[in-house]
Amino acid sequence: MNTEDLIQSLGHDLRPVPRGALGRRIAQGAIGGGVVTALAVALVLGVRPDLGAALHGFPFWMKWAYTASLGVGAVVAVMRLARPDAARPGVLRWLLVPVLLLAGVGVVELAETPSRAWLAMWLGQSWKVCPWLVLTLAMPIFIGLLWSFRKLAPTRLREAGATAGLAAGAWAATIYCLHCPEVSAIFVLTWYSLGILLAAGVGALVGPRFMRW
Amino acid sequence: MRMQARERTLQAGEEQLKAWMISGLDGDAGAHVALLRALVPLLGAFFRRRLRDAESDVEDLVQETLMSVHTKRATYDRERPFTAWLYAIARYRLIDHVRRRRITVAIEDVEAILVTEGFEGATSARMDVDALLATLSPKQAQAIRATHVDGLSVAEAAEAAGIGASDVKVSVHRGLKALAARLRGDRA
Repeated sequence: MNTEDLIQSLGHDLRPVPRGALGRRIAQGAIGGGVVTALAVALVLGVRPDLGAALHGFPFWMKWAYTASLGVGAVVAVMRLARPDAARPGVLRWLLVPVLLLAGVGVVELAETPSRAWLAMWLGQSWKVCPWLVLTLAMPIFIGLLWSFRKLAPTRLREAGATAGLAAGAWAATIYCLHCPEVSAIFVLTWYSLGILLAAGVGALVGPRFMRW
Repeated sequence: MRMQARERTLQAGEEQLKAWMISGLDGDAGAHVALLRALVPLLGAFFRRRLRDAESDVEDLVQETLMSVHTKRATYDRERPFTAWLYAIARYRLIDHVRRRRITVAIEDVEAILVTEGFEGATSARMDVDALLATLSPKQAQAIRATHVDGLSVAEAAEAAGIGASDVKVSVHRGLKALAARLRGDRA
């Protein structure tokens, strides 16, 4: 095709691009996937029966603050990496803040608990399934983000994939909180984080393959 | 006639390209077409410098990049320089092109491209460079970014910025000197 013809055809039927288009596209993918994840939690796993009571307690909000702040930070990084001229997103360093805060809560918790109960507190009742559930629940959100990226232009594909996985994992964990009855900080710090990191690992593995354009 | 066309492109520097881009984003088809047309010689020079004896590849790449500029235009941040965005796309198209045809491209050529791109060092050094360049005047920062980070020639950088080649050279020289002084000062 002649270059001039190509240019004419691209100029034909040009639709305006609103300012927040990139953020909107990412939000659509993430929320679309999040709805699927939320339905899976509600219909397959079931919302914890004592949710109303849990909303009045510290552990529920601690978990939510941890996973949601990771999710917000990761989404900001995803938005940066969706542009071709993205620098390495420094915002990811800030994700250490919630990790360290939660570790601080964990230390206090350990200090207040007799050491013979530590193992039970750490493993809870669901350590074997928690990381895998978070990873599985992350997949709809991750696929939603891959859909978002079809219109975007990442050039650091592995980092973009890992960060999208991280965001998907963190938001999946946030939704999973509605089901999971665990209360200890060291449980969340270990098993939730492991699930989120697994999702980031999957993202890093498949990012270069599915985010090419 | 050719001369006139050349002069017109010379005038289409960062300011003009960015203005066209933003009008295009707002739905002005005329500005969008003007932008794409002005990009043809810029992109041609960019790819030609990196792909020897492959004129048909250059044309393919220019067209692919124009299509990417069009389909990915939502990823342009109106607050940031247009040419940085453009050359990031061009670089991605080039690397993708080489990757897709790696069987037909000699290893030395790939190496030459990667070296021109500063590929290896770029990943880790990018953030430091951004932080350092932010301490310079915008003109110096842009000149250094264009010639040393984006890998443009002085002539290409001058064309993109809409200033003279000597102006670019002076900006690069002064900017690098200021950076060197800063680095020495930081260490002391």
